[in-house]
Amino acid sequence: MTLAHYLALSAALFLIGLFGALTRRNIIGILMGIELMFNAANINLAAFNRFLHPEGIVGSAVALFVIAVAAAEIVVGLALVLAIYRSQNTVYAEDISLLKG
Amino acid sequence: MSALVFYSLSAVVLISALGVVLLKNTLHSALLLGLCLAGVAGVFASLGADFLFSSQLLIYVGGIAVLLLFVVMLSGRSSELKLRQVNDQWLAALLICAVTFLGMRRYIFEAGTAVLTASPQPTTAALGKLLLGEYAVPFEAVSLILIAALVGAVVFSKARERKP
Repeated sequence: MTLAHYLALSAALFLIGLFGALTRRNIIGILMGIELMFNAANINLAAFNRFLHPEGIVGSAVALFVIAVAAAEIVVGLALVLAIYRSQNTVYAEDISLLKG
Repeated sequence: MSALVFYSLSAVVLISALGVVLLKNTLHSALLLGLCLAGVAGVFASLGADFLFSSQLLIYVGGIAVLLLFVVMLSGRSSELKLRQVNDQWLAALLICAVTFLGMRRYIFEAGTAVLTASPQPTTAALGKLLLGEYAVPFEAVSLILIAALVGAVVFSKARERKP
């Protein structure tokens, strides 16, 4: 297995996540697409670490930071989704148009 | 052997990711997201990142996927199962994905020459030294972010009191 295989896998995962984040109507679906993109980036970090700097571990450390920030992001995002659902009674992105006045 | 592992893990990851994006039922999407994240953990294991593998399983599969399942079950109605889940811009989104792929393709094929040279070493002890030594400041910053996210989640999900 070469580095290109792992990069191709991560690119495919990133594109699937991007497509999901752009096209899902449900906010929870959009958050899932964002999670897929985070995971694609983490695969890239681990693959570069393994193939280009096999004696170093900084790639794993940065991927750990990405995981922590993604966890914080998803927690706040889901709390917002629940708050919106309670006040607007919808989870669809196009129905949330309060700022239009 | 490593090719077999790689291709089977890739199949699991990509097929379940497609399911996450395309399925109508959000609950099925959330369950498949758990499978996809577990597959990514397997990819980490095949890359020799053992601590990343375990933290992916603990945080993503055990934490985030379960949290998403809870929110999906708390916020849906059964009538939504018949609704369309893809918006009108799917063609434009497909175009954006194609353009992004054309941009990334060059770098994928340029990087193709690198091959594995050494067998993987255990990384956990070195990661601990790195996080509490050279990377202590980003480590503390991440803990601050986690505290802020915790407080923010509590504030947002608190029931709003009506003024008398």
